[in-house]
This record gives sequence, structure tokens and C-alpha cells, in this order.
Amino acid sequence: MTRVGKYHVALVGVAVLLLLLSLVRLVSGYDDITSSGTFAAALLLAVPIGLAGLGGLWAERAGVVNIGLEGMMVLGTWFAGWAGYQWGAVAALVAGLLGGALGGLLHAIATVTFGVDHIISGVAINLLGPGVTRFLSEVLYKEGTQAAEAGAGITSSPAITSPPPRVSLPLLSDGPDLLGRLESTHWFLLSDLAGILRGLTHNVNMLVVLAVLLLPLTFFVLWRTAFGLRLRSAGENPWAAESLGVNVYLIKYVAVVISGAFAGLGGVFLVFVSTKYVEGQTAGRGFIGLAAMIFGNWRPGGLAAGAALFGYADGLQLRSSGAVTSFFLFGAVLLLIYLGQQVRRLLASGEPAEMVTRGARQYTMMAAAAAGMVVLFWLWLTVDQLPNEFVFITPHVLTLIVLLVASQRLRMPKADGVSYRRGEQH
Amino acid sequence: MLGKRFSRMAVGTVAGVILMAAAACGGDTGGGTTASEAPAGESEGTLKVGLAFDIGGRGDKSFNDAAYAGLEKAKTELGAEIKELSPASDGSNRGDLLRQLADAGYNPIIGVGFAYGEDIKKTAEEYPDIQFAVVDSASNAPNVTGLLFAEEQGSYLAGVAAATKAESGHVGFVGGVENDLIKKFEAGFVAGVKSVKSDIKIDVKYLTPDGDFSGFKAPDKGKVAAEKMFQDGADIVYHAAGDSGLGVFQAAAAAKKKAIGVDSDQRQTVKESNLQSVIMTSMLKRVDVGVFEFIKAFQGGAKGGTNITYDLKVDGVGLATTGGEIDDIKDKLDAAKKDIVDGKITVPSKP
Repeated sequence: MTRVGKYHVALVGVAVLLLLLSLVRLVSGYDDITSSGTFAAALLLAVPIGLAGLGGLWAERAGVVNIGLEGMMVLGTWFAGWAGYQWGAVAALVAGLLGGALGGLLHAIATVTFGVDHIISGVAINLLGPGVTRFLSEVLYKEGTQAAEAGAGITSSPAITSPPPRVSLPLLSDGPDLLGRLESTHWFLLSDLAGILRGLTHNVNMLVVLAVLLLPLTFFVLWRTAFGLRLRSAGENPWAAESLGVNVYLIKYVAVVISGAFAGLGGVFLVFVSTKYVEGQTAGRGFIGLAAMIFGNWRPGGLAAGAALFGYADGLQLRSSGAVTSFFLFGAVLLLIYLGQQVRRLLASGEPAEMVTRGARQYTMMAAAAAGMVVLFWLWLTVDQLPNEFVFITPHVLTLIVLLVASQRLRMPKADGVSYRRGEQH
Repeated sequence: MLGKRFSRMAVGTVAGVILMAAAACGGDTGGGTTASEAPAGESEGTLKVGLAFDIGGRGDKSFNDAAYAGLEKAKTELGAEIKELSPASDGSNRGDLLRQLADAGYNPIIGVGFAYGEDIKKTAEEYPDIQFAVVDSASNAPNVTGLLFAEEQGSYLAGVAAATKAESGHVGFVGGVENDLIKKFEAGFVAGVKSVKSDIKIDVKYLTPDGDFSGFKAPDKGKVAAEKMFQDGADIVYHAAGDSGLGVFQAAAAAKKKAIGVDSDQRQTVKESNLQSVIMTSMLKRVDVGVFEFIKAFQGGAKGGTNITYDLKVDGVGLATTGGEIDDIKDKLDAAKKDIVDGKITVPSKP
């Protein structure tokens, strides 16, 4: 498929998704499915996951598996809180970046210089992060210190002094708030689009804008520059890169340190949202970020989609337990589309020889899809209110299902996780 | 060549081991012991009280600090020798802390938080001569005293205050973790609200399911949940969500509405001045009273095996009046309190 073709497919996909969401909202009556509040919450919850995923992307594209993202994120939150309450938001940003980068540097020293197994080093950093931060809190925030006077405790820092600036789109989502007005009319499609746009543009933290810009920037650096080519070659075949004169050690160091910095930035964002460091506020987002990256096939676009999916599901779940049931309908319609496509392909297929070999499996898949569709539709009709236990796990289940479907065609960097030693050909 | 490769491998392995060891040390210092006072000799007859904190430990401005206040009062008023320990951030070493205190000769020993229930039971069986107490959990051994609080009664008053003050006829409740303890808060709150206006709308949201304690540490999720309630028209949101409550206060400040705090007087303990003003009142849980009274009773020769419930009657729970925002409805609150104390109203503890 050509690049233009791919781009078109993506556009059509988004349009179909929007239409579906709008339809489901209209049928189920849950306005929260496309409300600006839900999308604002989704953005809020997706950004730290996306940043952690970006961190993972940089490391793994250079051939270093980074499951230490969570630990680096924890370091980011602590340093952001510590610098933020003393010198404000910009200091928090810088300190969080450095804190995460420090974790990355440690990972690089262990894996690149000493050839420690990437998983072991990552696990160590995940243990080290919370341990070090707790130790620092106990030393710096203990009773009687100035920080404790300002509101610190062993598990939290004082509030950061100057909150980061927030921006809105003038006219559209601020002031006259045209999008907001359009949203409140609840028209089919138009209001949904307005709600989504308003949620993504109204009163947005500056760091969100920065985080979103980092996605195309990462794509550009990794896929459109000589440095990016060298970095990716270190992840695909470091021996070939070495033979062409690339300093693979240096490249890996840079990549892993940047990876830690991105994870730290995710931590900074969490601190900005809560206005302070709270122990345990990362809550496994580093790992979810890693999952989002794998889901996204080690590419920035896919990673963003994964993070957005998780953020949206979590945001909707938090705002409206009832709206979660409409996912049944959503799933049923998706399966229907899949079925339609398969049938069309079956009818259009002109090569009977291939049909025979593929037939059995394809028919089974279609039958399963049809059965699933019926079950989902029936569930949507009969289930009024899901038990809370199910509502809580929706984001995870949803991610798991999508990951399951998507992972059939994933390809990781070829030398990812391989311990590279200079001069040792494979 | 082989030798070189081997030495590299060795270096790699050693480096890995060192890193892991460093990580373990980090965990230790993190989880380790924060002794404030070393026990000064084993003199017979002195009261030696040990206390193990819940996750969060000393300095959480809430639950644990309240327990410490009770301990400190025992030190000054009863002349007790005290020692307190904080668990690791995942709380995995609770049992070890209790044994550490028991081995050092502390008696009685207090565990703060319902999560100590099982560990206290085990330790109490190992040290039958030592008296234990556990906050927020029932007695489960002959030498264990359960220090319980009637959260539903305090929450009932919070519900009365919220319903009286909410002009829109719409209030909300954000719970951190959907377990039996937090459900007591919800049940009392809902009953209190309904006692004022039976047709009032109450939004209820829990942040995480039972067993996932991250709901007490997620201000961002608290913010999202409360934001939704305020957008839907709620006037006052009551939270029982630990640190996540911060997000509820932020949402209230952004929507220019009100919130109700929990456990301690949050209008005093929250330091951000823009958030202080949204905290209409707080449902107080006097863990300090519970801890102090237990130590005092122990000195008087009381033995365990029973539960002591701190309710409205003994002011074990109640509402904070800092800020004076509920002064104008004091009569109504006092009447509700009297009805509960007199037994005219029985507050449900399950929603």
C-alpha cells in the first residue's frame, strides 16, 4: 500500500469511528460518550501513558528493552514535586526530566556498558525508584523541616508554587465558546465532533501541548534524520551499524537517557495534575505505556492510539459507569463491520485455489465474530447497569482485546533486548 | 578469547548483582524503620507502647498523624515510652514490624489501619503475653483489641450538612476503594442526605475496586470523578478517598462549589489556601482518642479480645467546624447527633 493509501485508510477509520460513537451516543442516550468532559479526562489520563510509551519507543528502537519506565517515572514525580514547591513549574519540569534521565542513565550503564540482562536491570530500577524516593522524602520532608511546614509529609511534597499555564482555543472553546454551545444542542454528529474538539482544546495544560508535539517530533527525528537511522540500525542490527562506523554504545546511551527523560516527563505531568508529588501516584502507568507502545507496533502513531484508547476507556469509566454498557453495542457494530468486510472479500475473491486453503480458518473466524456480535448485542439489550467490578476492569479488558487483535501483525526491532558487545559478530 | 569473554560475563553478572543489591537497599531504607526514640533500658514497670503505621506513615497529615497524636499524648500524660515504625511503601513488612516491636519488649502494640488485621492475628498468637490493638479492624484473638469507629454516624452528619447546604438538590460521594470500610462512609452519608430531603440526587463513584489501593493515591482520578458530578449539577461532594481527595477539592475549586473532607480537619491540614476555602467541613475520625484511650485502659489493666467502638456518643467521630461554614445549621446537626446518640436513629453501615 502506498503512503497516501495508508493515510486515507486512517482518515476513513477515524470518520467511521466518529460516526459510530455518535450513533452509539444517540441510541444509548449517554451523552458522556462524546462529551467534552470525557475527552478532557481522556487526554488527562492518556498523556502520562503516552509519554511513558514514547520513552519505551526511544529505548527499544535502539535495541534496549526498558521495563524500568515505571521506576524512572517515579523518580520524575519526586524530583518534579521537590523542585516545584521551591522554584515553580519550570523548575519542576527540568528536575523531573533530569530525575527520569538519571534513571535512564543507570539503565544504560547497566545494560550497555556492563551487558546486564535488560529485564533484570529494568526490574532493579523499578525497585530502586520507589525506594530512593521514599528515602529522600524521609530525609527532606521529615517533621520539623521547612518542607513539612509547607505541607510535606513522608508520602507527599508541598504543592508546587506556580501551576503551569493553561491554554484554550480563543473563540471556539473559550470566551464565546462556540464549540461548547454546539455541544449542548446534542445534534447528531455535529455536537459529538464539537464535544470532542472542545474537550481537547478547552483549558489545556501547556505540558499536554508539549507532549502531543513530541509525537511528530519523535517520528521526524527517528525516521527522517541520519541520527534516527543510526539509532534504529542499533536496534535492528548493531553489528552492521558498527561495521559502517556507527558508535553503537554512544547511540544506545543517548537513546536510553532520552527514554528515561520522557518517562520522567510523564511523572512531571502527573505532578502538575495533582499539583504535588504523592507517593504511588504513577500506579503502574509506566507498564501501561510499554503496553501502548507494543500495541502501536513500536511506532509513534500507533502508540498514541494505544494511549488514547486506554485514556478514553478510563475517563469514561470514571465519569459514567452506565455509559460503559454501551461499549457492548459499540463492539457489536464493530464486529458487524468486520463481518461485512469479510463477506465482501469472499464474494470478490477470484482465486479459488487460495480459497480452499484459507477457507476453513476464515469461516471459523467469521462464525466466531457473528456469535460474538449476537452475544454483545443481547448483552447491550439486557444489561442495565454493570456490576462495579466489571466497570473498573473495562479499560484493561478493552486494551487486552485490542492488543490481542492487533498483536497478530506486530514486529519488534530485530535486535531488541540483545546484549550487544562491540566486535563480537553474530 | 574465551577468558576475555568470561571475564566480561563475570563483570556483567557482578554489576547486575550490585544493582539488585542497591535496589534492595533502596527498598530497605524506604521501608525501613523510622525510630523516633530508642528504648532506654529495660526498666520494669514503665509503660512501653509500640505503634506501627499504615502505608503512608508518619506525616500523612491525616490518619497516621492522628494515631501519633494519641501516642504522644500517652507519652506526656501517662509517662509512656514510645516507639513507632513505618512500613515499606507496599506494606509488605507489616508482620515484621509487629514482631520487631514485640521482641524489643513493647507492650501494648498498636497497628494502625485495617490492613493489619491478619498480621496482628498471627503475631498475637506468637506472643500471647503481649496485648495488641488494631485500628479499623475487629478483634480476632484473645489478646487483640479492635479499635473501631462509627464512620457511618459521622458520615450521616456530613450528609445532613450537605443536604441542608446544597441548594440544587444534588450532592456526590467519591470513595477511594470500594471495600467494606469505605462503604460505611457511603451508607451513612446517603442516609444522612435522605433524612433531610428524600428526593435528593446522590452521585456515588468509587475510584478503584476492592484490593487495589491505588484509589487512595490518585488525585487525577478523584478530580475526573468529582468534575463529572459538579458538571452534572452537584453542589457538594463528600470524599473518603485519602490523597485522591485532593483532586476532589481541586475540582470543587474549579467549579466554585464545595467539598467535604474526611478523617482529619482538612481545612487545617490542606495547605493550599485556594483549596482550604472549598472545604465546607470535614468528617473527623478521632483515631488519636482511640489510641490514647486504649493505652489508658491497658494501664488500668484492661485485657483484649473485645472491640471498642468510638461513635458519636464519645465524640469518636464528628464534624469539624473550622471556617464556620456549618455554624448556621448547628441546631440541626446537634439534633441529628442527639437522635443517633439516643438511639432514635440507627444509621446503616452498609449501602
